[in-house]
Amino acid sequence: MLTKPERSDTVDLSDNALQVDISDALSERDKVKFTVHTKTNIREFKKQEFSVIRQHEEFVWLHDRYEENDEYAGYIIPPAPPRPDFESSREKLQKLGEGEGSMSADEFKKMKQELEAEYLATFKKTVAVHEMFLQRLVSHPVFKNDHNLHVFLEYEQDLSVRGKNRKEKIEDFWKSFTKSTDEILLSTTQKDTDDFFEKEKHFLVAFHEHLKDATYKADKMTRAHKDVADSMLKVASQLAQLSAMDVSPLEECFQKLIDYLEKSRKLESRVSSDEDLKLSDSFRYYVHETAAAKDLLYRRMRALADYEAANKALDKSRIKHKDIQAAEYAQQKACENFQVISDKARDDLRSLKSRRIITMKKSLVDMCDLEIKHAQGHITLLKSSLSLLQEE
Amino acid sequence: MSETVEDSSGQPFSRVESDEDIFKETKEDLTSSLFKSAMSNPADKEIDLNDDESPSVSQPIAPTTAGGQEPLNQAGSEGYIKISVAEPKKVGDGMSSYLVYRVVTRTNIRFFSKQEMVVTRRFSDFLGLHTKLMEKYLHKGRIVPPAPDKNLVGTTKLVISQQVTGEANTADFVEKRRWALERYLNRTASHPILQADPDFREFLELESELPRATNTSAISGAGVLRLFNRVGETVNKMTFKMEEADSWFEEKTQQIEALDAQLRRLQSSTEALALQRKELAQTTSTFAKSAALLSTCEEHENFAKALVQLSELEEKIQGIHMEQVHADFFLLCEFLKDYIGLIGAVKDTFHERVKAYQTWQHAQGMLVKKRESAEKLDSAGRTERAGSARDDVLEWEVKVERAREEFEAISRTIKQEFDRFELSRIKDFKHAFISYLEALLESQQKLVKQWEDYAIQVKQIE
Repeated sequence: MLTKPERSDTVDLSDNALQVDISDALSERDKVKFTVHTKTNIREFKKQEFSVIRQHEEFVWLHDRYEENDEYAGYIIPPAPPRPDFESSREKLQKLGEGEGSMSADEFKKMKQELEAEYLATFKKTVAVHEMFLQRLVSHPVFKNDHNLHVFLEYEQDLSVRGKNRKEKIEDFWKSFTKSTDEILLSTTQKDTDDFFEKEKHFLVAFHEHLKDATYKADKMTRAHKDVADSMLKVASQLAQLSAMDVSPLEECFQKLIDYLEKSRKLESRVSSDEDLKLSDSFRYYVHETAAAKDLLYRRMRALADYEAANKALDKSRIKHKDIQAAEYAQQKACENFQVISDKARDDLRSLKSRRIITMKKSLVDMCDLEIKHAQGHITLLKSSLSLLQEE
Repeated sequence: MSETVEDSSGQPFSRVESDEDIFKETKEDLTSSLFKSAMSNPADKEIDLNDDESPSVSQPIAPTTAGGQEPLNQAGSEGYIKISVAEPKKVGDGMSSYLVYRVVTRTNIRFFSKQEMVVTRRFSDFLGLHTKLMEKYLHKGRIVPPAPDKNLVGTTKLVISQQVTGEANTADFVEKRRWALERYLNRTASHPILQADPDFREFLELESELPRATNTSAISGAGVLRLFNRVGETVNKMTFKMEEADSWFEEKTQQIEALDAQLRRLQSSTEALALQRKELAQTTSTFAKSAALLSTCEEHENFAKALVQLSELEEKIQGIHMEQVHADFFLLCEFLKDYIGLIGAVKDTFHERVKAYQTWQHAQGMLVKKRESAEKLDSAGRTERAGSARDDVLEWEVKVERAREEFEAISRTIKQEFDRFELSRIKDFKHAFISYLEALLESQQKLVKQWEDYAIQVKQIE
């Protein structure tokens, strides 16, 4: 069970205050159960403070409800949190169990601790990501009033969001397939007279691709870093065995190297996880954000296409002198819709730009500070290990 | 071809003839014929430790060791000798080309001709030196440091082309070998007996080319010897069980075996560490390239700059990781390989002792036989045959005595060598660990500097 430290209460004097956090989380076999804790003085809620248990699927359900809602078509919908993935940790734990016979008890214990720490880190990350998703929603002036959100936060029973059955999964797949072909079609056939959006489209498409690639490679790098740390453990344990069979003063010498290796391993592990957090995760987050932004652009394009179709329909009906009023009405709606979406989109995209630069810069700065701190720690460790070895 | 070495009295050191005779006649297994050809170098000179005239051994300072022997002091405690092997240069063209290494020796030991000597040697020269030293000293129970392996695959790659098989690999291989040769020479030089050996000295001093060592082509002579020895060994182990009267040997044999096994395991895990770090370096470089690509489509100018700088930073970090890989590999991995080889040499001496024991037992058996046949002839009254039979008996009595002495001598020497080995092991390992940590320290300091520089750059983005 993971317990979060108490959050300091910020007093929001407005009538519209809504604060959300994940106060607890429980990992059970395949599932993670999040305790979503809400504090509010919005009168629509029955209580001022309450908690419910939610699972990952319910978060996805909430995201999908926002996405489907045409009223939100002009906004960037915060990306749904990724599925909690304990697969790799579980695999490693299994491999460890299988290899138990081939390593010393001490080594086994250490590796087990290592894997447990890894599991815990993954766990913390998934909690953070789910929490951030909710906080984006409640801090958005429009999203925070959504009815589905309120249900999600308050409804004490299970939302009965069953996982999609096979038929629905196939439907989903086709939907996304048609959407992306539609997207491609639109981007090639639909002309956009607005420079801003043209540029945005070009930028987002290219940037998203490259960012995805960079994230993938950053992940590989941090994983390799972790592996280096793990192999140090193996060397340390072999040294320990060697030292145990050696009766000479060499034993002390070995011990000092073993100590160094164990400490440096912890350091390298920390470097790896900090890089993961500050670099990979930060990139990854914006991969999702830019994907959401692309979705927004797509919806706008769709609206533009609808608008132009409505125009054509209106012209046609004028020529045929049939249903002119209906056509006019439809065209009016399409025009408004398109305008609204365009305006909102412009704002959201602009704020995404500045948000992104600020957050990414901060992540890089944080990463530098952490790397420096760890490297200096490592230097201190090396110097002290050396002086220990050199004495006598 | 060795020079005649003369002691202060002007007498050349005499060759201990009888030893070799015994070996020639009594060895009936396969190893003997090889030994014969290996031993037939007539100019072989040996220096006996107990010889008063030997100049290189300084006063022993350590108290008597477990073997109750005069401790074999680490050579160089009064004298200084340091050998360095420089990067090889290619000589000749095409298939007949080969590499020569520059060997520079700095010493203040007086029986070397100069204080600084520079010669060029090719790899087969090193192998030839090792073979000669093995021939001369192994059967006495001396631990002769093994020469670097002749890695066939690496050599042919080198000869064919530098470009075809990735520069990095051949450069690695060349560096690996150069370093191994350097360690080999220094280790041999630190042994007081071997250091004074005329062949060794000639190797370091003779400015002209050494005659091509003939038995080093595909597999080195020592390698062939070892190969056959191993065959003989396995046969021996199956057919011959030595009654070990000396518990010291029993204990040490087990100790050596355990050490060997554990060192191998350690070596493979250090190799794994080096490989993992190499992987880290590669992934870092890949990431750097992708960060550079990202920067090209970043719309915010200053941030794009930060990304470019990140990419450059990561490339430099990749270089630092590679340096650490070198430390992992050369300072730990190769060092451990050396020791595994040395332990092999120790095991070889133990095996030699078993063979000496066998020789002695065999001689005793022959003596009994000869006595029996002499008695038979005597009682049968065939005085002429009996006479020659009794001559045989005398001859074999001498042989038995010699074999016993040999066996005891080799046992003593091994104990001496072993103690020295233990002492130098402590020093070596400690030194290796220190070098390793120093190398890592240097890398980490570079790493800090890189991050600090980048931090300044990043903080400046608007």
